[in-house]
Amino acid sequence: MNRVAVVGAGNTAFKARHMDKTFPRLAYEAVRDCLEDAGASPGDVESAVYGIYNDFFEHCAMPDHHVHYLLGLARRPAVRVTTGGATGGYAVRAAFAEVASGLHDVVLVVGVEKVADVSNVFEMVKSITFAADPFFEAHYHGSPAGSYGGAILWHMENYGTTEEDMARVVVKNKGNARNNPDAQSPMELTVEDVLASPTVIYPLKILDHCLNSEGAAAILLAGEEAAGRFARDPVWITGIGASTESGRQAERDDPGSSLFPAVRRSAVAAYAMAGIEDPRSAVKVAEVYDAFSGVEICLYEEFGLCGWGEGARFLREGSASMGGSNPVNPSGGLIGGEHAIGATGVYQVAEVARQVRGVAGARQVPGADIGIAQSMGGARGAYSVTVVLEG
Amino acid sequence: MPDEIDPRLEPIREKEGAALMPDRWKVDYLASMGELSRFYIELKENARLMGTRCPACGSVYFWPRSWCHDCYVDCEWVEMPPRGTITIFGRVDISLSEMRTEVPFYQGGVLLEGARYPVIAILKPADPAVLRAGLPVQAEFLPPEERTGRTRDFYFVPEE
Repeated sequence: MNRVAVVGAGNTAFKARHMDKTFPRLAYEAVRDCLEDAGASPGDVESAVYGIYNDFFEHCAMPDHHVHYLLGLARRPAVRVTTGGATGGYAVRAAFAEVASGLHDVVLVVGVEKVADVSNVFEMVKSITFAADPFFEAHYHGSPAGSYGGAILWHMENYGTTEEDMARVVVKNKGNARNNPDAQSPMELTVEDVLASPTVIYPLKILDHCLNSEGAAAILLAGEEAAGRFARDPVWITGIGASTESGRQAERDDPGSSLFPAVRRSAVAAYAMAGIEDPRSAVKVAEVYDAFSGVEICLYEEFGLCGWGEGARFLREGSASMGGSNPVNPSGGLIGGEHAIGATGVYQVAEVARQVRGVAGARQVPGADIGIAQSMGGARGAYSVTVVLEG
Repeated sequence: MPDEIDPRLEPIREKEGAALMPDRWKVDYLASMGELSRFYIELKENARLMGTRCPACGSVYFWPRSWCHDCYVDCEWVEMPPRGTITIFGRVDISLSEMRTEVPFYQGGVLLEGARYPVIAILKPADPAVLRAGLPVQAEFLPPEERTGRTRDFYFVPEE
């Protein structure tokens, strides 16, 4: 298997609404910045992978082939990946496989989403629920928050995690976003502010939820030989793991202590590939999928940054904060930074690549030589992809 | 809202210099429930909960699966006892479409007696304070004239 490097990264600013830009334009701006970052031109791109999650958002059942030629890439191969919130992560994995296998030397990954063209938030969430099991569970017209709420409640009941702990995640991530000029929702909040926001599904309040964003991110992957052609020092993808669970959240065989078994499996596989035995000492920075505040607390445990049931303590002690032992979501994550769904997993890899390169600006984690990026999607994290990046 | 106005016929609107194009995707289905059809028919006609059983390993599936994913053999239909226990639960305060008029409502995982996996179902406890993991519950069904053959036709209440 060939070694695979990230040789360029770019993204748009993330906003609730890019009124003045179509989704192909957002993709173009991210690709333009990515190629400029790499010192590359469109002619260097041999193949493209598009992460575009939801046909209803882009208002088109096959959006990728309405972007590809506008990027000047016609007559070259392209494929679209759509796996819910893990769309970007799985798109990176598909491109990684093209390079690692030797099929191509230089592959572009583009994640883009335009979530606010649906006429209102109820229509937007409704289009997400169209992913529910069509034979039985779709009949309830459930919401995405419901699929995570049960796991969070379990964590509260069994480990004593509190609504205040979850609010601390929001304070941290919205606060981190203040260091990210591309972030959608930088805010200085208190725990009390979060607790006072309206409940959607107990115990989740409005401020515990991720953002809905419009925007795009792109990265350029190259094999070891080709990487030397580009301007930047390569950041190596040393581990990549993925797992997909039952789409019915209740129908999962006993995962032991794991509340998000796809995440655990993806992390274990990525660590094994990268040769990481002690993640707490090895992983210096993480961009993970904080779809809801309480989920991030669970993820500390799934990633082995602390033991089972210790997530809230890990957070309270400041380990996940900037300046802590394992800063999580310096970009602001999905709560403070962005969640332009198909773009998210690509943006996370771009962010961790910047951290490893030491060019993350005000959000730089000093000495971040190894980092992880992780996205997940589907009912209660049915899909997950974890990527390990090293300088 | 005057839903009868088709957005596809409306003129563009202008906002912040952008042209906003009204549109609607509307696709009606008449979806075959195929090999699962008996589940819906028994539910609507007879208020019965039908599951399936693997003849090889004995796993009982509710929701029914027509084949066992472990043994790769066809399952046989079995009538499920309308009783089980709660595995997880949550309260929904804001919801969508048909459910919007009923908030708050409760939803949870219910493991029917003998089943391998829980299902997500509607919970209608008289007193929500009694909800907990492990609580025994029983199925109740909408009256025949209100049943549509969808999983909303039944819900769970604490066992008497």
